[in-house]
Amino acid sequence: MCVALLTIKNLSAWYNDEKMILSNFSMELAEHEVVGLIGLNGAGKTTFLKVLSGLHPVFHADRICFCGSTVNFRKQDFKLCRYTVFAEDNSFSYFTFREYLSYVCSAYRKEVPNLTELIQGFHFETYTDTLLKDLSTGNRKKVFLITAFALKPKLLFLDEPINGLDFQSTEYLYQQILGYKEYGTILFSSHILESITLTSDRVFVLEHGKIQQTFEHGQISAADIREALHDENDR
Amino acid sequence: MKMTGKAFAKKLFGAKYERLSRMLLIDLIVFWGLYIAGWSVQIAPSVRILMISAFTAGVMWQALSSKDTAVEMQHMLMLPSLHQEFVFSYVAILGVYTIFTKTATLLAILLAVSIWKPIEILGLLVCAIHAVLMAAAVYSLKKFWCASSLWAASIIMAIVLLGNKTWLILVLVMNGIFAVQILRKADGYDFYRQESEKSYIVKRQRRGSLWWYFFRYLGFHKNYLINTFVMWCIALILPYFLGEIGSLSMVPVGFAVLSLNTPVCILLSCDRDLEQAVRFLPGQVQMFCIPYVLFLFLCNMTADVIFLCSLQIQNSSVTVSMIFAAVFFALQSAVLSVLLEWFYPIRAWKIESDLWHHPRKYIVPVTMLLLAGVVIAWPALLPVLMILLAIEVVVLFFILWKIQ
Repeated sequence: MCVALLTIKNLSAWYNDEKMILSNFSMELAEHEVVGLIGLNGAGKTTFLKVLSGLHPVFHADRICFCGSTVNFRKQDFKLCRYTVFAEDNSFSYFTFREYLSYVCSAYRKEVPNLTELIQGFHFETYTDTLLKDLSTGNRKKVFLITAFALKPKLLFLDEPINGLDFQSTEYLYQQILGYKEYGTILFSSHILESITLTSDRVFVLEHGKIQQTFEHGQISAADIREALHDENDR
Repeated sequence: MKMTGKAFAKKLFGAKYERLSRMLLIDLIVFWGLYIAGWSVQIAPSVRILMISAFTAGVMWQALSSKDTAVEMQHMLMLPSLHQEFVFSYVAILGVYTIFTKTATLLAILLAVSIWKPIEILGLLVCAIHAVLMAAAVYSLKKFWCASSLWAASIIMAIVLLGNKTWLILVLVMNGIFAVQILRKADGYDFYRQESEKSYIVKRQRRGSLWWYFFRYLGFHKNYLINTFVMWCIALILPYFLGEIGSLSMVPVGFAVLSLNTPVCILLSCDRDLEQAVRFLPGQVQMFCIPYVLFLFLCNMTADVIFLCSLQIQNSSVTVSMIFAAVFFALQSAVLSVLLEWFYPIRAWKIESDLWHHPRKYIVPVTMLLLAGVVIAWPALLPVLMILLAIEVVVLFFILWKIQ
């Protein structure tokens, strides 16, 4: 049992030498918490989640620890403990949802769990045996969200999970995020203030590749976050 | 409409059109390299015209059908603009792209290895421009596919039958003007590739088997399927040509040629989301790469089996060593293809057509041809190569297991 699940010290990431996307980015994720990541477009949210997912190779950090031990985001041990739902994902288009889930479960060395509740919650009953390529943007998003909540990894990264979801599914997603603390930690990025204020224990306001402000528990209010974002826009 | 052209040109040639000059430089190097090598082939003018026309029209058709320009297209058509001007800008940019980045390479090779008169270059350029206009006009008339197919077929016939006549160029110029007239009447929406109707096919398969995935992938990409079918047809007739040459020692060349089914070897390159997913999920070296190797092996081996059966029927000369050679070439080609896809996927492509003609795709077939040369020269080396392949597979398993 460890308190700090993931520690990152002075992370810098870039696409080319001219512009740093993340610079001296430090943060800590505790076990069983929900952390929201908010920031203006281009602040570095997606790049940060891609670094964590092992997809962005050009980065440097002074220290990256997972459960107290140094970790490589591309190593199998870490991969088995995390899952990411990307903002846009058209992968495995020729699988159906059930096939995709079965494939991912075997990659994570897990049995396919009973999904009746999740499928009903996301109103996905009609599409479980349809090829992913034939699904709408919102339904495709549901495929990856259901998979994520079914896998129950220690760390769950969600990049703009609300985008494309209908009202009922969004409400259900909030419930799932809140209930996830029982199994692990969620770090998610969003532009929807409501999603952050309703679910997060902590909120990081990202600006120019750094965390400029952190709001915790009682401090999390839409007005304060809005003000922080306005300040960011003015700077 | 200057902006329409600019928007597509920057997408296809880069922000500063740097791709254009780079490609022309490469063509010049290819031409010069082949020219000073002194290789010379006798190619009839009609064959040259047919090659340039068919290749240009094919690439232009691919570019027009590409779904990679759909986003720009959707935006352009949404704007209040004159569709006719849009059509000309769009066709002109795709035409320049086709001729400068694809046809120019073929032209450089043809001119380097065959004897030609300067006036013929002009003729071939006219052919290329005609092919671009013809492809665009036929594409805009897709609704009338019967009439447009007849038109295209009659032009092919004219080139085949009148290829040696100088006035064929006049026929092509006239036909090009006719194509322009059709394009003048065309609407921008004729070139818009609508999202295909969602099929909502229900698949009751519960297990996420990659085999199903690969077969479905092949089934839904008709051009890949046709390519595989063409390879099987080649496998069927190849023994006849080897018989004509009179040497069965050339059989390994057949195996090497049959590993040229490149579209199925670029699964990760052409699907960036799939590449992201397999790099992101755990255990994909075993779960993805091994079935992928086996799938490619199956594709290659099917063609090889057809080739061997045809050889047996025509010559009754299939030997055990030939069967081993078939297994070697099919497996070695599959392993090399997957290694390239895993470590060096093609990323710098703008539209699917770039992917189809990327030189990296031909590294494996060329390697296979070199290996075929080695096996033909020293047949005793085949068992050694097979042992080396076995060692290669074991070492790869070990390395991939370590990097996981």
